[in-house]
Amino acid sequence: MLKRRPYLITFLTAFGLIIAPFVLPHLGFAPNTVNRILVWGLFGIGFDILFGFTGLLSFGQSAFYGTGGFVAAYLLTRAGFPHVVTAIFIGAIAAAVVGYLVGLLALRRTGIYFCMITIAISEVFFFVEFNPLSEWTGGENGLPGVPAPSFDLGFIKMSFTSGWTLYQFLAVCYFVGIVIALRIVRSPVGAILSAIRDNPLRASAVGHDIHGYKLTAFVIAAAYAGFAGGLLGMMQGFMPPDAFMFDTSGQLVMQSAIGGIGTLFGPLLGAAVWLFLQDFLQVALDLGAAWKLVLGVVFVLLVVFLRRGLIGGIADLYNLAFGKKTAPAEESPEMDVAVDAADEPDVAPMPPHRRAPEGYNGPILKAIGLTKHYGGLAANSDIDFTVNYGELRGIIGPNGAGKSTFFKMLTCEVVPTAGKIVFEGNDITGKNVTDVCQLGLTKSYQVNQLFTHLTVRENVEVAVLAEMRGKFKLDLFGNPDMIPGLNEQIAHTLAMVNLIGRADTPVSALAYGEKRRLEIGLALANSPSLLLLDEPLAGMSPRERAETVKLLKSISKGRTMIVIDHDMDALFELAERVTVLQEGRVLVEGTPAEIKNNEAVQQAYLGGLKEVA
Amino acid sequence: MTDRKSSISSSLSRRALLRSAAVTGAGIGAMSISSISGFEFVSRVAAAENPPIGTWPEGSKGSTIYVSISVPRTGAYAVQGEDELKGWELAIEHINEGHELLRKISPKTKKGVLGKQIKAVVTDSGAKPNQAVQAHQRAITENKAVMLTGSTSSAVAVAANKLAQREHVLYLAGISGSNDTTGKDCVRYGFRQNFYGETAANAIGPVLVKQFGKNKKMAFMTPDYTYGHTVTKSVNDYLTKNAGWTQVTNQVSPLGAPDFSSYLLNIANSGAEVLINVNWGRDAVLSIQQAQKFGILDKMKLVVPYQIPFLAREVGNGLLAGVYAATDYWWTLEDKYPLAKMFNEAFVKKYGYHPEWGAENAYISFAHWARMVEEAGTFYPPAVIKTYEKGETIPSLVGDVKYRPEDHQCVRPVFIVKGKAPKEMKNKEDFWEVVETIPGEGLMQKPDAFGCKLGDYT
Amino acid sequence: MINWANFVSQAFNGLVLGALLALISSGLTIIYGTLGVLNLAHGAMFMLGGYAGYVAYNYTGSFIVAVAVGALFVMLVGVVMERVIIRHFYSRPPEDQLLVTFGISICMVEIVRFFFGSLSQTVPAPAVFSGITSLGFMFYPTYRLALVGIIAIALLVLFLVLYRTRIGMIVRAGIEDSLMVDSLGINVYRIFMLVFGIGAMAAGFAGIVNAPVVSITPDMGESILVQTFVVVVIGGVGSFPGAVIGGLIAGEIISLTSMVNPGYAYVMLFAAMTVVLVLRPYGLLGTQGRE
Repeated sequence: MLKRRPYLITFLTAFGLIIAPFVLPHLGFAPNTVNRILVWGLFGIGFDILFGFTGLLSFGQSAFYGTGGFVAAYLLTRAGFPHVVTAIFIGAIAAAVVGYLVGLLALRRTGIYFCMITIAISEVFFFVEFNPLSEWTGGENGLPGVPAPSFDLGFIKMSFTSGWTLYQFLAVCYFVGIVIALRIVRSPVGAILSAIRDNPLRASAVGHDIHGYKLTAFVIAAAYAGFAGGLLGMMQGFMPPDAFMFDTSGQLVMQSAIGGIGTLFGPLLGAAVWLFLQDFLQVALDLGAAWKLVLGVVFVLLVVFLRRGLIGGIADLYNLAFGKKTAPAEESPEMDVAVDAADEPDVAPMPPHRRAPEGYNGPILKAIGLTKHYGGLAANSDIDFTVNYGELRGIIGPNGAGKSTFFKMLTCEVVPTAGKIVFEGNDITGKNVTDVCQLGLTKSYQVNQLFTHLTVRENVEVAVLAEMRGKFKLDLFGNPDMIPGLNEQIAHTLAMVNLIGRADTPVSALAYGEKRRLEIGLALANSPSLLLLDEPLAGMSPRERAETVKLLKSISKGRTMIVIDHDMDALFELAERVTVLQEGRVLVEGTPAEIKNNEAVQQAYLGGLKEVA
Repeated sequence: MTDRKSSISSSLSRRALLRSAAVTGAGIGAMSISSISGFEFVSRVAAAENPPIGTWPEGSKGSTIYVSISVPRTGAYAVQGEDELKGWELAIEHINEGHELLRKISPKTKKGVLGKQIKAVVTDSGAKPNQAVQAHQRAITENKAVMLTGSTSSAVAVAANKLAQREHVLYLAGISGSNDTTGKDCVRYGFRQNFYGETAANAIGPVLVKQFGKNKKMAFMTPDYTYGHTVTKSVNDYLTKNAGWTQVTNQVSPLGAPDFSSYLLNIANSGAEVLINVNWGRDAVLSIQQAQKFGILDKMKLVVPYQIPFLAREVGNGLLAGVYAATDYWWTLEDKYPLAKMFNEAFVKKYGYHPEWGAENAYISFAHWARMVEEAGTFYPPAVIKTYEKGETIPSLVGDVKYRPEDHQCVRPVFIVKGKAPKEMKNKEDFWEVVETIPGEGLMQKPDAFGCKLGDYT
Repeated sequence: MINWANFVSQAFNGLVLGALLALISSGLTIIYGTLGVLNLAHGAMFMLGGYAGYVAYNYTGSFIVAVAVGALFVMLVGVVMERVIIRHFYSRPPEDQLLVTFGISICMVEIVRFFFGSLSQTVPAPAVFSGITSLGFMFYPTYRLALVGIIAIALLVLFLVLYRTRIGMIVRAGIEDSLMVDSLGINVYRIFMLVFGIGAMAAGFAGIVNAPVVSITPDMGESILVQTFVVVVIGGVGSFPGAVIGGLIAGEIISLTSMVNPGYAYVMLFAAMTVVLVLRPYGLLGTQGRE
């Protein structure tokens, strides 16, 4: 939603900020309340980038809010620093630096651990502010006497002290904040952050250094928090120690969720609702301290029923009212036409992006003595395995033969207990999946690993970006459309997997066969020199299988591929050579014809088939 | 209210819209200039000679004026906050009706202040500076409050001081015991009636030396904010310099700590002979109750240098029998001061219990303010401030007092009280016995000793 | 203030605090380990136990009844909460679970504030345990001494339930491998409800037995929740022995730091967590399985 019509959103924001002083007073908003909403809104932009766009729920934002606020307030009061705006920027930078250090620690873990660590960190900052640092922060007293900003422009002196005059200053800050955030969200980094939120495993598997990007989001959120903290002190002429309290983090989380996460404007709306209800419930309804209970109940109901908060609810209503339906999941007749068209693929083949060292001409992949133990259980033992350039290799084996573990070791998702893997002459044993992907070895998964909240095109874009930008690049203000060759590569990949007609469909609305094709497309998008496919035909109807086999044939042109599948007929049709695994070892290797007639294989498979039956 | 607001915003809108029709950034910049002049335009028409300042003259145009009271009604200091609030309510009632007691303090008062009725905007500060500042700021813009008050802790008082100076609206400190409130954080727009760390220390010090002797070992319990640190320092300085006492430990705890066991163990093992507990509100109650459970009150003499309203009632069990404390007021002073008797009677009639010193401070600081405004004949803040700064001797509930022009601190007596054992109590509110009355002049530091710089009038 | 007597006193005090943290943390950790839900309302349940017990005490005057009511009431709250709300969140992202339990905790705190106000309430220690005990080197409140025993018994009961009953076996299996429990054909939902109830009860029980030590306030759960997080991170998420050991370590860190400077107690606790995270990312007794 935010990605389309960039200028419209910017313009509407500016318009809204300009008319607010003329409209809001009639709705019962006092200027100070509006100013407070803006500060919360700005604080929330960073939080939304962290939580809404990257999926990292932090309950520790108060640590950075307080840090930025106190650094700025200290400079302006105790240190006698004269420039208000510069001081606030220094506060934001300090918060970002602290955010970087905290992020290094907190991002060691994900999910619930991350959440617990951020809570603990915010509590500690509170104690540190109170005790070891109370000389600088004033402890419980906070820092009173923070000056308001004023600019001497020579011909006129403008000072923004309180009420609507201060509003103008804060509105400009908010506007700049939202413009920057919109740029970040639309940048390549923004696309990758969303991918990390949806599926961190796949985001790293398509070649992005997700730890680096998470840390980036964390630092951005800290910088926004620090900036907002500085504004808070300036706004009330007093930097309160409360800024460091866990309650502040909690209120931010609740406001953002009420307004709607992943929308950038949600925190602003949430803060408006929160502060309005706080006044309304306390004063108009005379509920006294019970106002917070009402807000708590509202919050729980929103989390249970409206997952994307008020903005999400409004968007859904809008779509409902104006009949903007997403395409149905069933493949419509038009799709059949498209499928038929695929019978005669007129798509140019997509040659691999050659990354191998100059003059290397050994096998593309060589595994020696590969072994994996889980506790006492041997999943793979002593596998020797070599694949040459241009080969299309099949791997078969009964259930439990260790095929998936073997693949996971090749793509470095799993570290082997013993053995060595050499890819295009590089020893990749013990490397991580991201680096291996960057070298040109990718995998499509047995169970779909897609970025489920993104469209088909965005999914492919995430993968292509990894090839175009490397595993980590901080082009926060970059425009993906300006990356040369990006759109071509996306279009090409979509054409290869025959999803051009579905480019703007969200993944959740795709049919199963389409999802499978997209799964392959993600692995294909960065033009790997070696493509591993883990059961690409699993769960498909016979017609889909036939179609996919054709697809695989077409993408194998000029590329090395290894395919695992249970569908032996399809595999024998595709592969030039086949390796059979049994009980974690290589049973035999040969051409399809040799394998078909091998007695040991028939033995193994009779047992295996029995097992399946 | 609404009329005035819309007249401002419409005068704003006409000007601003003309300019902001242009580009966004430039538009906002332009608005700032136009709206400042817009405000001045509106105010100048109404004002006579003095330029408008703070909420003047807007706030005192109608027949009703607003004062902003932000006081803890939740949290660790809620009990004291409610008591203070009653003092203010009673004062407002007395001012509005021209009560006899009030006219004894402010002879020119008829009904209201300069004929205008006072209304209070009451908010809960939770003893948190941030909440208090927010509430005051709101009352200033929304209600054009002409005066701010409230605080049960010096952290709030100091923050409100700074706000008052910035917004040019008078602030009368509620309970605030820190030396800083009229010391290094003093402001031109702030005034304090009640006693504080330095006067408490200088009043109770000689009594302690007389009772316990010289060269004693003392332990402190200090809440971690400006009140606690300055009271501890003043008491410690007095006793070490004048009687050779030594501080063996100072246990600093955060406001609102539920469990004092770690601190108390340190004290129990410190070898102290006297425990000086500077904690306040619920913290004081809990720390004293828990100290008894750790057997500390049997080993050490407890001293409360800065008496806390309701402490004796809440601690219970006669734990405070024989404990010395310095205080601003205790209701049995009515035997000595006729105005105190009048105040107690009015208070008991309305609220059903004898007022604690929080209510007394609240009442008298409002009464003094009403007097100053009547004397000045205007609400114009610099004129009111200058009337305070004349330093005239004026009546209070406990005899004559005056405000020091250099730091805006009221020079007033401090009373030393001693806890009564349950069997000595004549009625159920007879917790303390007033043992000494010490005039204020000798207790106070030189006005500039704590680094007070009052700042500008405008 | 470092001397022998004070060291022993503080170490002992740390044991009391640590035992309390261990009990609350084990409730949190078995819920998380089995259901995969981090209950941010766990601190509020600790508080709720105190208030339920307080009400029961005021009606009956019996401390035993107060403890029983405190524990059972919170268990009931846990069961209802699981049935009505949490159940619908098993399939939703963990972030949603955090948000909803956080919201529930706000509601619980505010409901209590609505009925009882913000002022602290006290529950007196039972008569047998009131008074002071002399331990030779120090005086110590008798009830705090008794508390160590009371909590030790509670932890033992929890241990027996987890390690000597069929339900406990399933719970521990679930902590190690939630898929396995599914495939055993056990009615997981009933087990989940029971585990949530037991975990909540641990918090409620801790809340009421701790009430005579400190006074109870509506927001007392928040700081204890943060401490239990640190305990769980140190001990290892989902590990019952980890929670017990982590609790005792945390209690000692807080107490022994307090001996030098109480202001640094929580800073040191956090520093300990950092060290554990760097050296053993999954906690002292945690396994890599759960994330």
